[in-house]
Amino acid sequence: MNTYSLIKPELLMLTKEQMFSLMPYFYMFVGALFTIILSVNKKLSPKWTVFLVSLATCLVGISTSVARLKIDTLTLFNGMMISDTYSHLFNIIFIVSAGLTILSSFRYLDKEGLQHPEYNVLILLAALGMMLMTSSMDLIVLFISLEIMSLSVYVLVGFRRADRRSNEAAMKYFILGSAASAVLLYGTALLYGATGKTQIHDIYTFIQTHPQSMSPVFVLGAWLVILGFLFKVASVPFHMWMPDVYEGAPAPITGFMTTGLKAAAFAAFLRVFVSLGYGSVLSETIQTHLHHILWVCAVLTMVVGNVVALTQTNLKRMLAYSSIAHTGYLLIGLLAGPKSDQGYSPMIVYLVSYAVMNLGAFGVLTLISTRDDGGLNLNDVSGLSRRHPWLAFSMAVFLFSMAGVPPTAGFLAKYLLFYSAVQANELPIVIIGVLCSAVSVYYYLRVLVYMYMKEPQGSPMKSGFSVWPSFVVAAMVFLTLQIGLIPGGILTVARKAMAAL
Amino acid sequence: MNLSSVEPWIILSFCSVIFFIGLFGVMIRRNILIILMSIELMLNAVNLTFVTYSKQLAHLGGQMSVFFIITVAAAESAVGLGLVIAMFRTLKTVDTDQIQMLRE
Repeated sequence: MNTYSLIKPELLMLTKEQMFSLMPYFYMFVGALFTIILSVNKKLSPKWTVFLVSLATCLVGISTSVARLKIDTLTLFNGMMISDTYSHLFNIIFIVSAGLTILSSFRYLDKEGLQHPEYNVLILLAALGMMLMTSSMDLIVLFISLEIMSLSVYVLVGFRRADRRSNEAAMKYFILGSAASAVLLYGTALLYGATGKTQIHDIYTFIQTHPQSMSPVFVLGAWLVILGFLFKVASVPFHMWMPDVYEGAPAPITGFMTTGLKAAAFAAFLRVFVSLGYGSVLSETIQTHLHHILWVCAVLTMVVGNVVALTQTNLKRMLAYSSIAHTGYLLIGLLAGPKSDQGYSPMIVYLVSYAVMNLGAFGVLTLISTRDDGGLNLNDVSGLSRRHPWLAFSMAVFLFSMAGVPPTAGFLAKYLLFYSAVQANELPIVIIGVLCSAVSVYYYLRVLVYMYMKEPQGSPMKSGFSVWPSFVVAAMVFLTLQIGLIPGGILTVARKAMAAL
Repeated sequence: MNLSSVEPWIILSFCSVIFFIGLFGVMIRRNILIILMSIELMLNAVNLTFVTYSKQLAHLGGQMSVFFIITVAAAESAVGLGLVIAMFRTLKTVDTDQIQMLRE
């Protein structure tokens, strides 16, 4: 056995400071386990205990992450994980979106007869997977956390077991998602074969020391990893799963997926890309090569997402295509990053604002969804301003924000993103992006037209008002406007996170 | 027979053939159970790749990874079969051509 270089257990020891950095993950994990245990206790009412315990878990997770936000970068477990401002900022996004999803689903689950404790447990575990994904610095750890997240989300998508759409969406997502994970993993295996390491830092060192000698195995491995990531962020040649999954999943879960899943995929993509030397040690040819690929993907994603969204009448499907379009804008940020002064911080701001407005929009959809929310379409919101003026107003704020109209968060984020691309001399793609977002105004405004200028159709909703989702929606309206008007705080945090990356 | 005399590249190309058989199986086959098997095939091809490289590079990390991947593959097939059962209850089919409610 002494031919193998042994792994020394003492390298995995943690100091006190490192233990504290692990606390958010630890609390989320313990909270999820505790929720499982509580849910089998028949004496307590499982519905309320599970709800409250999972919310408390989220609160503790958020507060520990906020406490670690200003701490210097720490590597954990011999460089397999990293704890820095970047990972903790994203931890906050994931836990907040998990918590708000739990809040806004409470009444929805009652209404749909789906009040099972597993729902909250799976949301907590998915959030844990996302958190680990952004802080992992080892491709195997990345894969495992990706699977923790994906497996939980597959089940959540198919949570409405009696509904055919939900089952179909879960099945499609499962097949395509696991095939993409396997591709990513094969890429990891080939990178391991070419470099002898799975840790991202070691692969970086390898690239640095052998800048010109890229073996075919290494190139193929890197390609497969990039393909896997492009699938996870739903960039265009690999976007086909997204509309189906978004349409079939329960409305709050769709909200969770647009915010948490998308932010997690992008955060991990950005982390791996930058840590592997994108924009720094990679040779000029590879750099231009990657640039071309990202350019084509970004343009295709924006055009296809926006154009197909024009024809959609189903609201969740329309938001799915709009989500694909937003992936395109984010890819502009990725390709402009190395050459602009602001680096990737516009991407971070964009992900935060996108999360805020989507959580709000899906909160509204959750509130107005009736029993069969797979068929939530434009007619369901027609005349919403007469029945629920505040709900219609909030939806209008979110839609304006997605379209990028000032003074909302969406405008600020898009402005920063396009500005950084202009700085990086990427004028053609900025022009395409601006044109595409002009197209997008049409389908966002169409929803507004239905809400404000059409007569109400069908029978009014029975359960109009419920406290928790309304609270979520109100908080998100506040945040959307706050980020749009006073962006100082988020910009500072994004720059700090960027510097840590 | 001395196994270590097998050249690594033979095993590695064998692995990549298995992997791509799995990938094409996912894309071409219509029966969901076969598709699940193809996904398992892909993951096992990755396992074999890791072990081969681990042997070739004399580095234990690859063999460690295999344990984690086996665990994940088991969890994945459990979830997959659960979803197949849930779907079979409502749709009464395991043929992907019959599953097309979600279309434009």
